[in-house]
Amino acid sequence: MTDTPLHHDPVRPRRPLQAWFDVRRRRLGSWAFALNRLTGLGLTLYLFLHLFVLSNLLRGEAGWNDFLRLARTPLFLALDVILIFGILYHGLNGIRVALVGMGVGARQHRRLFWALMVPGLALLAISAWLVFTK
Amino acid sequence: MAGLTSTQPVTERAGRGGLAGALWLVQAISGLLLVALLLLHMIAHHFVVEGGLRDYQQVLDYVANPVIFFLEVVFLVVVTAHAMLGLRAIALDMNLKAATQRAVDWLLVVVGAVALGYGLYLAVALQRL
Repeated sequence: MTDTPLHHDPVRPRRPLQAWFDVRRRRLGSWAFALNRLTGLGLTLYLFLHLFVLSNLLRGEAGWNDFLRLARTPLFLALDVILIFGILYHGLNGIRVALVGMGVGARQHRRLFWALMVPGLALLAISAWLVFTK
Repeated sequence: MAGLTSTQPVTERAGRGGLAGALWLVQAISGLLLVALLLLHMIAHHFVVEGGLRDYQQVLDYVANPVIFFLEVVFLVVVTAHAMLGLRAIALDMNLKAATQRAVDWLLVVVGAVALGYGLYLAVALQRL
């Protein structure tokens, strides 16, 4: 990656939150970084939500069945696909970040990004098909 | 969080950054572990189950298996640690004052401990049903 002046540094910009949504002078790495953060926040929120939802099991079979009925509605299935997108993107981009951070493929990190994202998109399509048909 | 886009090898950062480098390594290793654990979790709970979700009895039978129970607890510990370290990384990007950052660090420890404690309580309670 090329060096950039401090005020354009995607890692430590002056206004960090705004920088996630700033589309100016963006390169692939900074888009990947911002999306990694957004999916990470979404997945963390989901973790807490998931624990809350699982507590329905303690209400017995009726409580769990109520949730299952809700979870099988088209809106929830669409949310499942968004969740799978978050998991796939964050996981696959995370593999790239870990590898590059450990010095593996640092010079080819853009190629590595697409090499992971293309199968990721295929997995997302297969998963979406499974979610809506199974 | 200087790690996520940096191309500097982590071994150099760990040597220079001490705790920061060590936490980056924990974040990376927990993330790689999660890829495997989450894949297992998604397949076992959703993709091989008719209708995409286990019914009540299937869930109880599933967590009654000690190997599965152990893997689910490991998954809970790893995902909670990874999530809290991720939130800390975002807080670090905010360039907070040192005292505020310390408060955020402790808040994340508490939130992580509560999530972990509640998750373990749920897992044990379900295994006993």
